[in-house]
Amino acid sequence: MKGILFALLGGACITLQGVANNRISQDIGTWQAATITQLTGFILAALVLLIVRDGSWQGFKQVKPLYLFGGALASIIIYSEVMAIQYVGVTLTVSALLIAQLCVTFLIDLRGWFGVVRQKMTMPQFIGILMMIGGVIILKL
Amino acid sequence: MLLGILLAVVAGSLVSLQTVFNNQVNARAGSWATTTLVLGMGFIASLTASLIFEGKGTFSLQHMQLWYWVSGAIGVGVVFCLVQGIRLLGPTFSTSIVLIAQLATALLFDSAGWLGLERIPLTPGKIIGVLVVVAGILVFKFGGRRKTVVEESANPSV
Repeated sequence: MKGILFALLGGACITLQGVANNRISQDIGTWQAATITQLTGFILAALVLLIVRDGSWQGFKQVKPLYLFGGALASIIIYSEVMAIQYVGVTLTVSALLIAQLCVTFLIDLRGWFGVVRQKMTMPQFIGILMMIGGVIILKL
Repeated sequence: MLLGILLAVVAGSLVSLQTVFNNQVNARAGSWATTTLVLGMGFIASLTASLIFEGKGTFSLQHMQLWYWVSGAIGVGVVFCLVQGIRLLGPTFSTSIVLIAQLATALLFDSAGWLGLERIPLTPGKIIGVLVVVAGILVFKFGGRRKTVVEESANPSV
């Protein structure tokens, strides 16, 4: 039960983040909104890190340098999401975003890119993606 | 309309890519060190983009409200909740709930028009559309176990 609550709250917060970024963008601009939310998030995460001390900076050295820059993608993600919300609303944005996210993850799994263990495609995954796209088409009607 | 969808698709694709990268870091450095790094990188990239596209406008934060400064905490809350959810429920179940909660929250905010959103009235069509997407997620996540490709799983180059 506790796990379900965490998952529900986590999902709600992901959407809330997009909506909040959109609201802040209206006042100070989208890139500025991204800058400020990432900065305050960074400061808070750093404080948590200091308290829990679960991490090892040594670990970063063992990772392919490219992977360390994943966070930089957030700037484009935030910008695109905020713009999408302004054009088509939150529901359609989140739906299309999730489909793209699952499709790309699926592709990466299928090809075994970026050190991910390769997995085969099965029929249910294919049907699932088609159903999601069908749902978005219904949303647009 | 199409441009909006296209932008969402770009965002979703990059979220996927970022998640894969972050998982690689996470496996070696732990979740809070990773989160700190990821948000730090996001800050540097966003600041750079802001300086390029907005120039001095980057620093003219005229209508700042207090909560704007703390909204970054939402992202930290997300990481905490996702880590706990996966620990308690496993990735498949947990991720399914996260995705469904994302959609439900989106529908709620659109219908209510909160936080400066243009209100999009809730219609039966919207509810059906979201339910079909949710059903698709469940089929995707729970429809039979996926097989790992054993013969090529040992990849020494990475």
